[in-house]
Amino acid sequence: MIIQVKEVAKQFGGLRAVNNVSFDVNSKEILGIIGPNGAGKTTLFNLISGSLPVTSGTVTFNGEDITSQKPFVICKKGIGRTYQVVKPFGGITVLENVMVGAFNKASSTKEAREYALEILKKVGLDKKKDQIGNSLTIADKKRLEVAKALATQPKLLLLDEVMAGLNPSEVKEMLPIIRGLRESGITIIIIEHIMEVIMSVCDRIVVIHHGEKIAEGTPKEIANNEEVIKAYFGEEVSHA
Amino acid sequence: MMHIIKKNKFLLLLGIVALLLPLFVHSKFHLNTLILLLLFATIAGAWNILGGYGGQLSLGHTIFFGLGAYTSSLLYLNYGTSPWIGLIAAAAISIAAGIFIGWPTFRLKGPYFTLATIAFAEVIRLLCLYWRDLTKGSMGINIRFEPGLSNLIFREYSSYYYFALVLFLISLAIVYWVDRTRVGYYLKAIREDEDSAETLGINVTKYKMIAMVISAGLTGVAGVLYAQFMLFFEPESVFNLNFSIEIALIAIVGGMGTVYGPLLGAAIIVPLNEILRSSFPALSGMNYFIYGIVLVLIVSFMPNGLMPVLKRIPKKFKSRKKVQVSGSRKKTAS
Repeated sequence: MIIQVKEVAKQFGGLRAVNNVSFDVNSKEILGIIGPNGAGKTTLFNLISGSLPVTSGTVTFNGEDITSQKPFVICKKGIGRTYQVVKPFGGITVLENVMVGAFNKASSTKEAREYALEILKKVGLDKKKDQIGNSLTIADKKRLEVAKALATQPKLLLLDEVMAGLNPSEVKEMLPIIRGLRESGITIIIIEHIMEVIMSVCDRIVVIHHGEKIAEGTPKEIANNEEVIKAYFGEEVSHA
Repeated sequence: MMHIIKKNKFLLLLGIVALLLPLFVHSKFHLNTLILLLLFATIAGAWNILGGYGGQLSLGHTIFFGLGAYTSSLLYLNYGTSPWIGLIAAAAISIAAGIFIGWPTFRLKGPYFTLATIAFAEVIRLLCLYWRDLTKGSMGINIRFEPGLSNLIFREYSSYYYFALVLFLISLAIVYWVDRTRVGYYLKAIREDEDSAETLGINVTKYKMIAMVISAGLTGVAGVLYAQFMLFFEPESVFNLNFSIEIALIAIVGGMGTVYGPLLGAAIIVPLNEILRSSFPALSGMNYFIYGIVLVLIVSFMPNGLMPVLKRIPKKFKSRKKVQVSGSRKKTAS
């Protein structure tokens, strides 16, 4: 078990965005998190990565309590994340973007550059390395997000809708990248709306609705779970 | 080493010209302009580390400049401390002030840092005006003209010129180092997006503080040079808001976040300022009018400053040459 999320909650004023959610992820597993819009998935990521402090509960990573630590500390411990709303460093080149991440482990500029080039090749951005971040298409910006997070050499990677907004052929290009990451020994938690992706790539799925975990299981179990179907399509209308 | 020289032939030439310049320029007005140019290039370069690379726009860099000038001068006048030691004291006091401002404001997002620098500069200016026992208030500080290397006071303008040149080269070397290492990359990341920078393992507050320490220290040292060169200054001249804005403008016009931008900016703004000031003695304010128009033109047509535009010119030239060559080949082939 690489990460354990235990009864984590987040309160925004009167709104409980995440309510006592617990789950574990095993090493080299791909865990999917799904749920309707506004279910609290991204907030959950923010709690794990330290972007927001938790209201209650604990996050344990590799046996160490990392609850509500600062994001840069959590990154140094080996958790990388991408943002659903992409945040490229718009005014600098793609290579420089990834080098910033690579400096997390690299000791020299040369080393950072070499590692960044390697990562760019892996995600298929090596030909665009000299372009300015803002000039990329949305698909490439998503790839850049993954590249930046990967460059920090994480053990656990949180992917927040890296395929939303991509067309089907772009999605097909992204899938082998994600599978390749797992093969290189990285554990992944992925938030995604595209069911085709979730079903084909995940080992296990956690379903969140109104901030609460309503189901957990293999893709097959989840697809047939009544609670989940209710959450997505609503309850059957009873005719009196 | 060789490839650096080869790559920067133009800069090498510029360096040689800069070294030999005082042999040919004897007019005090011209040397004065050159010294100010180097001084402003140094300060704008220091500003550039924090503002250009780190995106923390300071409009109160006179804080460090003025503190540097006052620290070394008061030590010299009251205790006879050599301004050489004053240089270190000035850097230390400026850095302390920088940390004092950065500590609370670097944790905030938005315009608070900029506002704090303006406010702090005003407070220090007023403090220096009213704390007459220490600073002599608006009577200013008058350093007696006693030339000597240990006093850092020279008879010849050319000596000041070389002193300013050395200081500028040191600042250039520091910026060059920042540009090529982790610090520079991290600062640029912070400028572009703080949240994203933090999730990539960057201690944002720490790196802003590093930029602040370098920037404030260098500016403080430049303040000492100014004091020893002018031999007279007062709160209004060293803690002036216009002066703070001019420092930022030089870096913005030249190109923020570039190594040579501040030098380019200073090479345009300082002579322009001096020429305009002396060309319209009858029409007071005319110099500001023209100065303003030039700035508006530069900022609206080259929002990233002049340096990025200049860098593109040789590339364009090369690609045009290639097109011509391939074009002529086609002709011969047909």
